Amino acid sequence: MKLTLAIHRSVDGKEWIQNYEIEIKKGMTILEGLHEIKANQDASLSFTCSCRSSICGACAVRVNKNAELACEALLVDLAKRYQTEKLELEPLANFKVLRDLIVDWQPKYERMQTIHPRLNPKEEFSLDKGCIQTPAEFDRYKKYAGCILCGACVSECNKNTLNQKNFLDPFIFVKAAKLVEDSRDRNPEEHLKAVVEAGLWRCMECQECTAKCPKDLDPAGAIEKLKAATFRLKLKETVGSNHAKAVYDDLHDSGMLDEKTLATRTEGVFLSALRAPVAVRLMTHGKLNMLERHPVNPEIKTIQAIMTKAKEVE
Amino acid sequence: MTKDISRRAFIKGTAAVGLAVSVGGCLEWKGDNIPKAVQRGDMTYDILILGSGGAGMRAALEAAKNKDLKVGVMTKLVPTRSASTMAQGGMNGVTGLPSNKGDSYGAHTFDTVKGGDYLSDQDAVEYYAERAGKNIFEMDYMGYPYNRQEDGTVHQRKMGGSSFARAAYYEDRSGHAVVHALFEQCLAEHIDFISECQMLEIVMDGDTLCGVAALDLRSGNFIQVAAKTVIIATGGYGRAYWIRTTNPYSSTGDGIAAGMSIGVPFKDPEMVQFHPTGLAVNGVLLSESSRSEGAYLLNKNGERFMKRYAPQFMELATRDIVSRAIATEVEEGRGIGEGLQAGVYLDFRHIPKERIMERLGQVYDLSLRFADTDITKDPVLIGPTCHYSMGGLEVADFQTAATRIPGVFAAGECSCVSIHGANRLGANSLSEVMVFGQAAGKGAAEYVAAHSYEGNAAALQQAVARWSAHFEEAVQRTDGPSVTELRDHMADTMWFKVGVYRQKNQLLEAAREITALNEDYKKCYIGDASHVYNTAFMNYIELGNLLQVCQGIIMGALARQESRGSHSRRDYPQRDDKNFLKHTLVFQEAENKYHVEYKDVVVTQYPPKERKY
Repeated sequence: MKLTLAIHRSVDGKEWIQNYEIEIKKGMTILEGLHEIKANQDASLSFTCSCRSSICGACAVRVNKNAELACEALLVDLAKRYQTEKLELEPLANFKVLRDLIVDWQPKYERMQTIHPRLNPKEEFSLDKGCIQTPAEFDRYKKYAGCILCGACVSECNKNTLNQKNFLDPFIFVKAAKLVEDSRDRNPEEHLKAVVEAGLWRCMECQECTAKCPKDLDPAGAIEKLKAATFRLKLKETVGSNHAKAVYDDLHDSGMLDEKTLATRTEGVFLSALRAPVAVRLMTHGKLNMLERHPVNPEIKTIQAIMTKAKEVE
Repeated sequence: MTKDISRRAFIKGTAAVGLAVSVGGCLEWKGDNIPKAVQRGDMTYDILILGSGGAGMRAALEAAKNKDLKVGVMTKLVPTRSASTMAQGGMNGVTGLPSNKGDSYGAHTFDTVKGGDYLSDQDAVEYYAERAGKNIFEMDYMGYPYNRQEDGTVHQRKMGGSSFARAAYYEDRSGHAVVHALFEQCLAEHIDFISECQMLEIVMDGDTLCGVAALDLRSGNFIQVAAKTVIIATGGYGRAYWIRTTNPYSSTGDGIAAGMSIGVPFKDPEMVQFHPTGLAVNGVLLSESSRSEGAYLLNKNGERFMKRYAPQFMELATRDIVSRAIATEVEEGRGIGEGLQAGVYLDFRHIPKERIMERLGQVYDLSLRFADTDITKDPVLIGPTCHYSMGGLEVADFQTAATRIPGVFAAGECSCVSIHGANRLGANSLSEVMVFGQAAGKGAAEYVAAHSYEGNAAALQQAVARWSAHFEEAVQRTDGPSVTELRDHMADTMWFKVGVYRQKNQLLEAAREITALNEDYKKCYIGDASHVYNTAFMNYIELGNLLQVCQGIIMGALARQESRGSHSRRDYPQRDDKNFLKHTLVFQEAENKYHVEYKDVVVTQYPPKERKY
């Protein structure tokens, strides 16, 4: 079977899409396809890779706008999935491109530094004797320790595409969740405060990161865990946590969303007042009715029962 | 290779560097992969570490304990992409914890020495065994995600060749967790990383270390990094066998080649471990658990051939025995497939599907993905694959990881301490990386305290100019054999003539072929003339390093007229302690000129005995 790879190239300031036709062999991954091209058609095609067994994270690329680990995804499967004989390969999105399929990781490490990315061991532990942790405590974060820093999650993150400046990469939230959920840490608030400041509550909850993670780490779930931790660790209230709390209270108490007080409960009277023009615009467009309270969902009784149950479990 | 540069190219390169130096920091740089002070050329590192795997980062953290020291880590990739991430089993160490009950330093030492077929230096192994457990605790404190016991202590499991459960681990991704725990610490300590830089040469001025010449892949600038000490931690050289290895693409022996060029001998280079169950199609490792769960090995006639090689242990015989059996089957025409992808069948069909899915999930996935084989329905084609290099740069003092060249240290797979001797045990490599990474960091820091920088800036500049000129000449070639052609030829030679079995006439042929490849290499075609992220040029440099390493492997294999551990000579099938209880030392005298010396193995408490399991 023949397949065309349309690869986004960029070298020395020039950008173009180059088509390469390759014969698909049994078990041929994207990465092997790239090596085949580099060996037999065009030595100048550049990409990064190392372990070719899904653990070093060096080779993630975008195929038809979806991030894939190149050493793991089979070309034949992708052709089948997209019902095509031509696949489009690009560098990961939400990274600066250095050349061809190679992206710039340096800013990501700098962002990672902002969350104080290492364990602060509790005082009872020591370098000589190590730490104590039960298997149940280990289970709380063990999944997150499997992150390979491949960048697939951030490539498709809608919030990062919109604005990277006030939000972190999903894998950095995964790193933070790992540290916050680790029972050996004496100061999880340190990591948590840092991620709240770096935009924890701005996640759009589109679940793209979770869908793309080749290691099934559920970065979106990690973000939810961090949000929950802000309540558990009684972090100073923020706009995001207030909003969540306000919506939660409405659901829990009456099942009716009280939009007229939602803003003041979220941001306080002063900040809400500054947003009055927005409220007016919303009202004139019929998006906000100060006199009505909406029933949130016809199944509100079931939702409330779940909330009560969840509280019991906690 | 420098001799072949035309005068014009040299002048051009020198002019380019001269210009760069005269305009100071005005070279164009692309991003912050290199610290600003290095870009400006006004940084002299106290300790410059080459390689950002387990050994490199462990060394960096140890050295950085002294806040006054300037410590930098250079990598040709970015951190966390190293071979260390691929280690699965765990890290051995005597901890005295409940799951490690009954174990002792002596037992760890003996298991390691016996596993290494008595080629390990026993004083070094004792030092290692006493510290390996301590490192397990230290990694715990640094945030390593250990699997645990109910009482909260680290759980340790038993690996092949170990007489006690002593491998601490994180799932089947132990190395990955080591690398990421260390990287977290390095980020928090603000260690300087000099990323995406291909190290080209360790620069000496006579006997004095000056620093390192490297290529910044992003900008294409050739850079000089002055350093008081250099720790080589660049990993192994499995890519000498190209697709017949479990190693990453980056395991190209860069540091070994650079170390040999400045006079560090390549110790026991012939000791290359072959794992029996690599996928035939691409060498990717199918875990040892395949055999421990009861998979059969079958030849093309459907015969369980292990009954002829190890009737008692059958498929559960040690790695080297099974690898040799498979190689024999293939050689005698009972294998399946051809060339580098020839092999035998690994058959799981008699194992219940549920058990395969539960215990061999990764084996199932890899077979399905790469070999298009559903192991619950069909046997999968496998063959031996190069897994680990026991040999490496000679470490002259195991307590500091110092080589015989003052200021130059080596740790990890690129080094030979020697802990693993002629064959490494599972879960001993991650611990080695920890113990000797730490020793190197400490050793280099002590060296720095006692010495001042005496390097010669002009020597560094000359090296950079030479490499720059070489680049200009090499990338302009318009014809010649391609890098990949030569690479594939090298792998063929190494696999068929310096592979699982060796013998004199084949080794001599291999030596001739590699020498010829070295000649072709000088005029080979690179195919990319860009200065920006020229991975084709990088692959060319890596091939040059591999060819140099191959010469060492062949010289060592030819000289060692015995069979020991992973080194099997058909013409000398017995171990010969009388003549070869010795380390091979391959010295590079000049380009393509090597000689072999020997050094006695250090025996303390464990006199050589026959190695039986």
